Parts: sequence; structure tokens; C-alpha cells
Amino acid sequence: MTHHRHKTASGHRLFAVAAMVASGLTQAAPQTFNTALPVAEGNVVLREQFLYRKADDDPSPARRDLRVNGAITVLGYGLTSDLALFGALPYLDKEFDLDGPGGQRIERSSRGLGDARLFARYTAFRDDAPGRTFRIAPFLGVETPTGDDDERDRFSRLPQPLQSGSGSWDPFGGVVLTYQTLAYQLDAQFAYQANTEANGFKFGDEARLDGSLQYRLWPRKLSGGVPGFLYGVLEANLIHHEKNEVNGMRDADSGGTQLFLSPGLQYVTRRWIIEGIVQLPAAQDLNGAALEDDFITRIGFRINF
Amino acid sequence: MTSTIRTLFLGLAAAVVSTTALAAGPSYQIEVEGLACPFCAYGIEKQLGKIEGVQTIETDIEAGRVIVTMDDGHTLDESRAEQAVDRAGFTLGSFEPLDASPTTNGQ
Repeated sequence: MTHHRHKTASGHRLFAVAAMVASGLTQAAPQTFNTALPVAEGNVVLREQFLYRKADDDPSPARRDLRVNGAITVLGYGLTSDLALFGALPYLDKEFDLDGPGGQRIERSSRGLGDARLFARYTAFRDDAPGRTFRIAPFLGVETPTGDDDERDRFSRLPQPLQSGSGSWDPFGGVVLTYQTLAYQLDAQFAYQANTEANGFKFGDEARLDGSLQYRLWPRKLSGGVPGFLYGVLEANLIHHEKNEVNGMRDADSGGTQLFLSPGLQYVTRRWIIEGIVQLPAAQDLNGAALEDDFITRIGFRINF
Repeated sequence: MTSTIRTLFLGLAAAVVSTTALAAGPSYQIEVEGLACPFCAYGIEKQLGKIEGVQTIETDIEAGRVIVTMDDGHTLDESRAEQAVDRAGFTLGSFEPLDASPTTNGQ
């Protein structure tokens, strides 16, 4: 029972990563969440992000160790100048091991396509002036059960949180604000995801508050044309998960609140962007014996078509 | 023989260059409000580039200014420029023809 709880708690965090990554958008903007900057009508923007996550800060004696490698592909399309449609598809390779009852090391893993996220974002407010813009854009979408939710290994069916997919249709929505000038950019987002039950399991709902500051480091002075911009980035993510439910019962070792602070860099040109960021947990208040994060790194690129 | 070929080649190249130069039509200065990053500039340039007769587009992101030069015999009107800027998700600040070339009459 203890082991089951441990696996469940760790898996819950796996799910959280998938959701966090897939929420990233395709404009020149934050790397861990959304932006209100526009996708031009008829334009397509591709984003690819690669991540590595390490979580082995285990409050239990099971010495649990979780590693996640992933790639998230995001496509954005400007239906109109105000309405953009997005699709995000993750590929995740999860490895999880812990001490078994007899002291032997147990390893469990899964890999495959995860749950695709489809959403629309509408620019509800726009205030443009020379060299700056301020926008407010609500968004609404659903996480679809495209990932495999019945993976098995030599032990048994993998715990639901370790599956590539959740098996459930999970609606989400929120609002993002962006203030951008030539020198810097501020973004803020509130988002909520209401998770539903599948296979007798329900992930806890997720609420999050995100903030981002991008500051142009180079070129220090602009002198005509459209040079590439090198931004220094600092992002913050305050994420709260409700407890998971297994057959209608709340899992005491799941859910909680985390605050990540994330320094990064981003180089932005007309046609492409390369970027990288490291998410460091500044505070973690997780329920029961939920496994705590060590760090998450993300690198990626975006292309304007 | 070699010098004759070289002369012909240079003459042809000069003719191509001069034809291209002569083919340039009127230019327009478009001020775009809200433009503040290179990635966004691409969307504006792409929308303006869809307009028939556009030959070159030069953006100065610091000034928020785009210079559009048309092919000879083509013009750009303000409403079409405004539509392109709006489709890119930005706001037209001002629109101004830069010259009164004699080749600007009619499309």
C-alpha cells in the first residue's frame, strides 16, 4: 500500500510536467506558459521544446527517483488576427525506480505520445502604441486522451500517473496578459484545468499563476533594421494541484503547491527563436509523501512559417 | 573572343540591373503601432508581401516603421495597408507616400 501511494504521488507530478510543458505557446514569449502576442492571420508557427526533469528528493525511505525526457510539438495557426488555434502533442519517456519491499530496486518506465492539447486564444483587448503593446487574451481548450492509458510492464499495468496518457477529457481555460516594449516584456497568466475521471482514477484539478520578465540584453542599442534580440528571462510558476482520486477516494500523498523560479535565455529573430530555461523549485508544499522536484530544463526552438 | 563574351555578359548584366532599378515604383512609409519584437515583424512583412505589386519591404523595428516599395505601375492605398497591418495583429499608426514618381499612376 505504501508503495502504491508512492508511485501514485510521483506519477501525479509526471502528469503535472506534461500539462506545464504543453501549455507553452508559439510566439516570442515565455517558455513555461502562454502569451497574448498575436499570430498573424493565416500564419503558422511551429514550436519544439525538449525537456529533462529530475525528481529524487524523496521524503519517504523508498529512495524514489524519477527522470523524464520529453519533446513537445506545438503548432499555432492564426485563424484571424485576434483568434489563434493551437495544438500541442507531447512525447514523454518516463523512468521511475524505487526500493521494493525486500530492498531490491524496482524500475518501471513508459514512453510514447501523451495527451494532445487543443485550444483557442482570443485577443479581447489590445492597446498598441509606437514601440509597445498591451494585450489581454483569454483561452479555452481541452486535453484529449490521445496517449496510451493501458501500458503494462513485467509487474502489472502501470499506475495511471505513469501512463503516457490520462484516458480522460480535461477542459482548461485561463487568461494571459502581455505588456511588450522594445526593451522588455512582461507576461502574466492564470489558468485552471478541471480533470475528469478515467479508469477509476481522477487527477486533481490544477490551478496556476505564472509570471515572466524578458529583458533585452543585446543589442543594447538599436540602429535600424530588424536585428536579432537576445533576451534574459526570469519566469515564475505558482502551481497548485488538488489531490488525486482513486476509485472516488482522495490520495493523501498527492497534490500540493509548488513555486518554480526559472532563469533562461532566448534569442529571437524574424523567422526563428532558440531558447533555454531551467526551472528550480523555490518552494514545495506537497501533500503526504509526494516526491519533490529537483529541476526541469527546457531547450527548444520556434519557427515562423 | 573571350573579351567579346565578357563584354556581352557585362552588358546583359547591366541591362538586367538597370531594368530592375527602373522597375521600382512608388514607396510608402507605414508606421506600425504595437511592433516591439523581431518575431512579430515577420507577420507584418508577410501580410504586406501578399499585396499585389509589392517589390521590397524594409522594416526598422526601433522606429516601428515599414517602407514598402511597389513595382512600377502599382500603387498602395492606405486602406489596403491598414488591412494588412491589422491582419498581422497590429495597428496602423500612419501612412505616407514617400515620393511622387511619375510612374505611380494606375495599376
